Amino acid sequence: MNWREWQRQQEVLELGQRFVSYVDWGRGPPVVLLHGMPTWSYLWSGLARGLATSHRVLVPDLLGHGFSDRRDRFDRSLSRQAEALEAWMDRLGVVDAAVVGHDVGGGVAQQLAVRFPRRVGRLCLMDSVSYDAWPLPLMAQFGTPWMARRLSPEWMVGLLSWALKSRGFAKKPSAELVEGLLAPYATEVGMVSLSRDAVALNTNQTQVVSPKLGHLAVPVWVMWGAKDRVLPAKYGERLVWDIPGARWVSVPEAGHFLMWDAPHVVAMELFRFLEGEAPVTHAPERPVAEVLWSEGAPV
Amino acid sequence: MARVKQVSEHRAEGDVERVYHELRQTLRVSGVDVSLRTWAAHPRFFVAMWEAMGPNVETRAFEELAAGLWQEVLDTTVRWEVLGAWSAVKLGPSQRFHARGALELYEAMQPRVLLMVSAVRLALEGHVVGRRGVPGELERLERGIPSRMAAMEWVAQKPRDALTRTLFTDIEKTVGPPGVPGEYRALACWPEYLEAAWRRLKPRMKDEDFQAAAESVRESARRRALALPFEVPLSRERVAALGEDVNAIARVTQALETRLPSLLLNLSRLVQDVPDMLRQPMPGAARLVPDWVAAEELR
Repeated sequence: MNWREWQRQQEVLELGQRFVSYVDWGRGPPVVLLHGMPTWSYLWSGLARGLATSHRVLVPDLLGHGFSDRRDRFDRSLSRQAEALEAWMDRLGVVDAAVVGHDVGGGVAQQLAVRFPRRVGRLCLMDSVSYDAWPLPLMAQFGTPWMARRLSPEWMVGLLSWALKSRGFAKKPSAELVEGLLAPYATEVGMVSLSRDAVALNTNQTQVVSPKLGHLAVPVWVMWGAKDRVLPAKYGERLVWDIPGARWVSVPEAGHFLMWDAPHVVAMELFRFLEGEAPVTHAPERPVAEVLWSEGAPV
Repeated sequence: MARVKQVSEHRAEGDVERVYHELRQTLRVSGVDVSLRTWAAHPRFFVAMWEAMGPNVETRAFEELAAGLWQEVLDTTVRWEVLGAWSAVKLGPSQRFHARGALELYEAMQPRVLLMVSAVRLALEGHVVGRRGVPGELERLERGIPSRMAAMEWVAQKPRDALTRTLFTDIEKTVGPPGVPGEYRALACWPEYLEAAWRRLKPRMKDEDFQAAAESVRESARRRALALPFEVPLSRERVAALGEDVNAIARVTQALETRLPSLLLNLSRLVQDVPDMLRQPMPGAARLVPDWVAAEELR
């Protein structure tokens, strides 16, 4: 499915002064799929249709991302994103859902689970931002006025495209996929919006919830691409250590965008997660904090 | 006329950047359109133009003159055949939401821009434009972009996809210089819709009654410009004294005034093609000025 076809499937919900574009497919227990940066709900286009055969699949564009509200006049922090998601779920009549968050979406999922625990029935964090592992230098630089002023949308998309291809995937992605992932950011409004999103990235927003993750009373899965060069797997292992009962799923031969590098494996694991089946787990060794620093943590 | 370089909002610096900000706030639009961006290629003239027009633009009188002009355009085209582009293409809910937002934005903006262009054109021709009102006597409008106005998003002037590129070439050739109008660059975010719309709009533009209607709109805009509440102190001599190329500015302004009425007629047809579209989408609220402030201004 190309990105235009995916966008055609999106609906829009106005939440006060803001609006959220989202896909709402299927019937059954609800599952919310959250994308990261610099992507949008299209990230999940490969998996959503399959999941919708047994679940109600809800895939929103975060505020400021994709085709949700990108006007330059609101807070885009993880906490605000979580509040907007909570209101959005409320309006859609979703009491609680299985929440799957990738990258920055994982940070939003952590906020949602900690602050609105009744909304999250199960939590899956995939190659998620956490602790002080982010923001990535490139994304942080997009938030500087210097960069935003000097780059044209074409240049910015070119740079991001290079970054996605060279760092994000373990296998070569199709040109159509990369174009689709970056499509909403290929205009001046999109570029400025991405810059504002980048400004909103702040380690404090994960640090503040990290100590509370251990108190979550729902099943938690942490799924990671073993070859992730954006957010190394050691951060996932640390999450598993800090969240009692969390399940660890390492996806071999997959990079940061594991759902595209290993779609069949991820689909199978997601079905297990949603059905409550326990995966084969390998409890990681307890990570040592110093190691995180000394091994070139992308701070 | 040679292609005139436009100053994008992204690239604007110094006084041009300041005027862009004031334009957005005072016109209450989420971006600066092609006409104004073209004027901004002559920065000293641009600043002088805004100093002359600004006091008018912020008044309720200007708003009502522009609203009256737009009403005339709507009344003219409501008798014409239904365009049928909105229902002819397959757009999803999100796409329709955004396309509709773009139309609302241009509906709110273009009549005001035409009024400004007509005032400048007349002033450069030596007419006395505006009345001799005293600043501070008239009701002014609340500044700021309406909360539900869409972001002004455009496809690049030279798009990569062949269909849009061909459409842009045809549009520019048909409507005249300078450059592809903003509303068409906005609608190009949904190329199939732009194609369907343009295929229906273009043939009508050659008709005698269309040309007559455009001329009538142009005359009405001039009449209304002459009735602006405050005098517009612009002249060829003043522009020359600023060190700008008077002839180039006059040519650009003439080109804008030539094509804007036709663009308004087309915009009106596009707007009327969308079910339940508001006729005055973004009415301005009165600016609340405390008595003591008003009294201060009157001294």
